[in-house]
Amino acid sequence: MSPEIALQLLFSGLSVGSIYALVALALVIPFKASGVLNFGQGEMVTLGAYIALVLSMTTPLPYYAVVPLTLVIAGAVGVVFERLFIRPLVKAPEFTIVIGTFALGLMVKFAIRLYWQDNVYSLPVPFSTEPWVFGGVRLNPVFVWIIVSVLVLLVALALFFQKSRVGKAMRAVSQNQEAARLMGISVERVFSSTWALGTAIGAFAGILFAPVTGIHPEMGSLILKAFVAAVIGGFNSLPGAVVGGLMLGVIETFSGAIISSTLKNVVAFAVLILVLLVRPYGLFGSAGTRRA
Amino acid sequence: MAASGAARRWLLWGAVAALALLAPPFCGTYELYLANLALVNVVLAVGLNLLTGNAGQISLCHSSFMAIGAYTTTLLAQKSGLSFWLALPAGGIVAMAFGCLLALPAMRLSGFYLALATLGFLEITQIMIEEFPNVTGGIRGMIAPPPMLFGWKLSSDLALYYAVMPIVAALVVLARNIQRSPIGRAFDAIRNSTLAAQTLGISPARTKLVAFAIAALYAGLAGGLAAAIVGFIDPVEYGTSASLRHVTFIVVGGIGSLAGSIVGAVVLTVLPELLRGVHEYSDFVYAALLLAFLILLPKGLVGLWPMMLRPWRREGRAGDAAMGAEGRLRP
Repeated sequence: MSPEIALQLLFSGLSVGSIYALVALALVIPFKASGVLNFGQGEMVTLGAYIALVLSMTTPLPYYAVVPLTLVIAGAVGVVFERLFIRPLVKAPEFTIVIGTFALGLMVKFAIRLYWQDNVYSLPVPFSTEPWVFGGVRLNPVFVWIIVSVLVLLVALALFFQKSRVGKAMRAVSQNQEAARLMGISVERVFSSTWALGTAIGAFAGILFAPVTGIHPEMGSLILKAFVAAVIGGFNSLPGAVVGGLMLGVIETFSGAIISSTLKNVVAFAVLILVLLVRPYGLFGSAGTRRA
Repeated sequence: MAASGAARRWLLWGAVAALALLAPPFCGTYELYLANLALVNVVLAVGLNLLTGNAGQISLCHSSFMAIGAYTTTLLAQKSGLSFWLALPAGGIVAMAFGCLLALPAMRLSGFYLALATLGFLEITQIMIEEFPNVTGGIRGMIAPPPMLFGWKLSSDLALYYAVMPIVAALVVLARNIQRSPIGRAFDAIRNSTLAAQTLGISPARTKLVAFAIAALYAGLAGGLAAAIVGFIDPVEYGTSASLRHVTFIVVGGIGSLAGSIVGAVVLTVLPELLRGVHEYSDFVYAALLLAFLILLPKGLVGLWPMMLRPWRREGRAGDAAMGAEGRLRP
């Protein structure tokens, strides 16, 4: 394999991986705070893409206004879902949470399919998609846009968790709910805000992924890769989720090129079961976290 | 008064058996086809309920075992000319072997992590089916010829019904006996408390292995039967939404209850037909039902049964009180 091809693969692996990383973050943030793993998070990705699609079709707003507006709407939807469907289940056994969030996701998917059918829509990006060529390596501007947006979002999230009151409250709740309550933090409100944040990040992933796959009801199957990324990262570590996503993207792209493109998808799930077998707390999690 | 509960139960099962035996000749082909599907779904639900309801293990890959059973049975019957009635248990046993394989990671995991591992297994089987089209027919699916019995081709739904029904009844009775055997009690023990089970000398790992093996066996047999009934294997039928449908059977019927598995499977086989006028909504209704039951009626439809009996039961309580504390011994 020539270095140009390797670089090319690395680049596309990182850009797909950064989408996985985003969705993994959208899983891990509410999970850390409330202990609820959202198996319907994939459909929040789909939902975000469709919200952006509707906004850009019905309003004259430019792309750069549609994106933040979509995030706000998705966040509000997340709050509503949490309040209506998730809060009654928070204290339920894990089985109920798994199946409940799964069912919620399916409802969203089927509702979307009822209205939009299986058509594939596209969300045009406001820049040329002509690839840039750097000495044999072709860079797709869409992928550059994905990587840059994800980097910006990561910095913003890091600042949010370090500096803002809400971010600090989320960290407090994820460490110890009782202690957080004693400090005057409304744990319920933090649950809502983690859902808002998770849904908004998922929606962002949907917008970024739209130019790659098109917008269709099955976009949310991406969630499986995000699960793998989160498992690699250890499920309770935000940097872990990001590194896990990037690793998975690169592993997939290289194994697709070296072994065969058809078995590329098996690699992700083989990695999943292998990590669960050998190191269930992930590469970045600590052995003390709840896993068994 | 103490005998009336048992008598009522026998009466109920007797009525169900009589209906199952005598009604079919008076039914149309379509109703019979539905009844056959309901029988297969009962097997699926009973197996999954042993694993999830009794042993407390989450499985999102029940449909994969069904797929393994369906392909193994059909390929054996087609390629090697083995009789369907030998290929069927072979399919079940192969599915069971895969269940043991999955139990290797599953033994060490629980909760969300187990759900993820089973989801991974589902995806792998799905990809394998699609990637080896010269064996499995790929996404195009595969035709499953009708089985032969004593030289007769069971191509009519009525004949199939009478061939399949005893198998299903036997599997239900077997599940009943498993529930009441030491194995079933070990399932309940590890669901309630793994730690307490261990102090009683029950190995959680081995119990989980047995639970996965039994559930996979049931799903594998159901897969083989489904292939014969439908006459076709469609890989789409073994994906995530199929697995969720199997979970819906037991959630709507009643988690951990054998009667619940049967009720849930039958109701949810018939329900989509009642929704036929609004067919495109049926998937949505399925998911909404699942969520509604989880939130509002976590014990499922059989959870309503004691509530409906309450007016009579109160009368019974008064009688029991007159007899002394004896009546309390039966919960």
